[in-house]
This record gives sequence, C-alpha cells and structure tokens, in this order.
Amino acid sequence: MDNSGKEKEAIQLMAEADKKVKASGSFLGGMFGGNHKVEDACEMYARAANMFKMAKNWSAAGNAFCQAARLHMQLQNKLDSATSFVDAGNAYKKADPQEAINCLNQAIDIYTDMGRFTIAAKHHITIAEVYESELVDIEKAIAHYEQAADYYKGEESNSSANKCLLKVGHYSAQLEQYQKAIEIYEQVATSTMDNPLLKYNAKEYFFKASLCHFIVDELNAKLAIEKYEEMFPAFSDSRELKLLKKLLEAHEEQNSEAFTEAVKEFDSVSRLDQWLTTMLLRIKKTIQGDAGDLK
Amino acid sequence: MSSDFEAYEQDFGTLTAEITNKIGRIPKLSGEEKTQLVLNVDKQLEEVRELLEQMDLEVREIPIQSRAMYNSRLKSYKQEVEKLEKDFKRSRIAYSDEVRNELLGDDASSSENQLIKLREERAHLLDNTEKLERSSRRLEAGYQIAVETEQVGQEILANLHSDREKIQRARERLRETDANLGKSSRILTGMLRRTLTKTFFVLTVDELTIFFNLVIY
Repeated sequence: MDNSGKEKEAIQLMAEADKKVKASGSFLGGMFGGNHKVEDACEMYARAANMFKMAKNWSAAGNAFCQAARLHMQLQNKLDSATSFVDAGNAYKKADPQEAINCLNQAIDIYTDMGRFTIAAKHHITIAEVYESELVDIEKAIAHYEQAADYYKGEESNSSANKCLLKVGHYSAQLEQYQKAIEIYEQVATSTMDNPLLKYNAKEYFFKASLCHFIVDELNAKLAIEKYEEMFPAFSDSRELKLLKKLLEAHEEQNSEAFTEAVKEFDSVSRLDQWLTTMLLRIKKTIQGDAGDLK
Repeated sequence: MSSDFEAYEQDFGTLTAEITNKIGRIPKLSGEEKTQLVLNVDKQLEEVRELLEQMDLEVREIPIQSRAMYNSRLKSYKQEVEKLEKDFKRSRIAYSDEVRNELLGDDASSSENQLIKLREERAHLLDNTEKLERSSRRLEAGYQIAVETEQVGQEILANLHSDREKIQRARERLRETDANLGKSSRILTGMLRRTLTKTFFVLTVDELTIFFNLVIY
C-alpha cells in the first residue's frame, strides 16, 4: 500500500471535485448537467476521503467527508448527507475532537428532523464519550447522555435508556449533584426491580442511591434504606446492605476506624471501584469533619 | 576348712536362688512393694559378694593341690553373681517399660517419654490448624470468585436485555420495509400496466388515422 501515493491521488481527486462544483455553479452547467456534475463531485469527494483515511490523514479525510455531506444536502439527499457527516465525525475523532463534535451535531440534527431518534441517540452517546475521554467536559457529557436517554425512552428502549441514565447518575454524583443522582438511581432501580433479567442489578443501584443519600444526610440514608428494604426484599440479604448498616453505625458513633474497617472487610471480598471509593471517602471525610480534631 | 567353704557354697546357693526369684518378681510389681523388693535384692547381692570374698579367703588357705577345683568353682560363682546383677539392673529398667506398655500412657511414666508425647501432640495440633487455615482461605477465594461471577452475570444480563430491544426494533423496521417494498412493487406494476395500455391505445389511434388517410386518398 503506497500511502503517500494514495494521498497524492486523493488531493488530485479533491481538486477535480472542486472544479466540478464550481463549474456546475455557472449558468450553463446549472442548466444542463448541474446535478449530474454535483453528484459526480460528491462521489469523488467520498473516494478522496477514503484514500485520505488509508493514508491516515484524518483531518483531510474529515474535511472531504464534510464537503461531500454539504453537497448531498444541496441535492436534498438527507440520508446520504447524514451518513457523510457521521463518517466525517469518525474521522475527526482521531484528529480534532471539536470538529468531530460539530459534524456529529449536524448529523444529529438531520436525523432528528427525519424522525430517526434511535440513531440520533446513539450519536449523542458517541459525542458524550468524546467529551468524557478527550475533551473532559463532564457537564456537556452529562447533557448529551441525558438527551440520549430521553430519545431512547421515547423509542421505548428502556434498557438503552437505563444505560445512559446510569452514566448520568455516575457523573452527577461525581460532580456532587447528589439530588439528581439519587433520583436517577432510584428510578432505574425501581424499573429494573420487576424485570427478571435485570433484578440482580437492582440491588447495586439501590446501594448507590443509598450512598448518595448518605453523603447528603445520614437520616435521609436511614429512611431511604428502610424504604428500599420494603420495596425490594432481596436487598436485605446483600452484603452491601450489611456494609451500609455498619457505616451508619460508625457514622453515628463518629468512629472513623470502625468505618475504615467495615470498608476494608467489604473490599477484601469484592474490590471497590473508583466511584465507590470516592463516595466512601467523602462520607468518611464528613465523619472526620464532624469529629473535629479527633482522628 | 573345706567344710567352711561348703557351708559358704550352700549359703551362696540359697541366696542366689532367692535373688533370682525376686528379680523374676520385680517387673510384675510396682510402687512400694517394688522399692522394698529392690532394696531386698540389693542387700542380698551385698551378702552374696561378702560370701564370695570369704570363699576367696578360704580358698587361699586350702593347700595348693586342691585349690584349682575350688578356684574354678569360685570363678563360676563370681560369674553367676555378675549375671544376677545384670539381670537385676535389666529387671529394674524392663520394669518401667513393661508397666508403661500395659497401662498405655498412665501418669506413672518417665518425663522423657512425656516430652516426646507432648511434642507429637503439638505437631498434630499445628497440622490441624494449618489445614483449617488452608480450607478457610480456599473458601474465601471461592466466595470471591462467586461474587465476581455474579457481577459478570449482571453485566451480561443487562447487555442481553438491550440487545433484545435492538433486535426487536430491527425486526419492526424490517416488517415496515417489507410492507413498503410490497406497496412500491404494486405501484410499479400499476404504472407498467398503465403505460402499456396507453401505448396500446396510442398505437391503435395511430393505425386508425393512417387507415382513414389511406381510405380518403
């Protein structure tokens, strides 16, 4: 594979396509074969973009796809345009995340216009992932996940909606938006409770909700745990509930050692992940904060 | 003089008989009786030794011709006494072994064997504790694996559920597309029919006009 050769070819194609587009702009061209020329140009742009991809020149590929997409819009080929925008977004993901997000947003607009909400939701998730990983803008990521969840709900895909909602809850709790996180976790937990496939997950969500309650206020946590036990009896057998009860006790007695011990015991059986450790650490800080100088 | 020697021999004989008898009895006895008997045998052995000394003196006084016979007898008596002493010692040691074997570890045993037993017991107990610890470690590991399996299972179930919804949606869309395709195929056949009828109509009209033209002219 002669990549540099491909790249030169690609640049040539782009130039040709540009010419065709300009030519079709003139009066005569528009009269007779305007559309035909523009379609050809579209195709050439697409081919050029593919060649750029082979040469790993992502930004040029993204650019070419964008041009193709705009031409498709001119030809009123909404579907083709949207797919080209998505291709552009994928290509830009590797080079310029911001541009990628722009292209994907445009694609989403077209899809929502056509009424294809599921695929729009999927792209919202992609954008949110980019915000999560490369641009590290958690708030925008949350916004996109929420949007995706709403679209999925609209299309009655509750599982996918729950997946997005969980991510929203995850990040809102990290950003200390506990009220929102609590609502989300409770909602997800109640909806998964009844489903026989998913009920084994429900206890995890209840646990997370209780932790968020705990950070806000201890009394809330107690009430919430009682409520959950009532709603979902299987929750009472879980180790997580036992851990919660121990934590509550430790918190009441302002005993951070008992707290640490209970956490360590739980950790020895099943490792605590990043989110849980952060939450538990916050709770522990409130204990130590209350205790003042006591260590 | 030799009669003295013979008297001594008789004494010697009775004493050794008694000693042998008592030595035979010692292993079977224990405690007070045993110590008494042991003291007895000790005393009797002392007496026997004194007898032997006196016999020695007597032999010296005997004229040299007959001395050889008495000498040899004396020697055999000395050997007998030594043998008795050995037996006596053995009986005291053997005593402790036999009794312990009979009673199988009663408190009446020497401290050395007690130590050995204690050491054995301790090794046994340590073994047991180690086995218990190993089993509890294995149980814990098993429990951890079970919990991990449960978590993996949860994820898989969630994935399956969302995949199920996707497949259902895809099926719906396929049915729609199928219906649409059916409609479009009907429309196309309709179009085809109409064009055919139109062309046919046009052709017939053409034919008629040509015919009329020919007829007129």
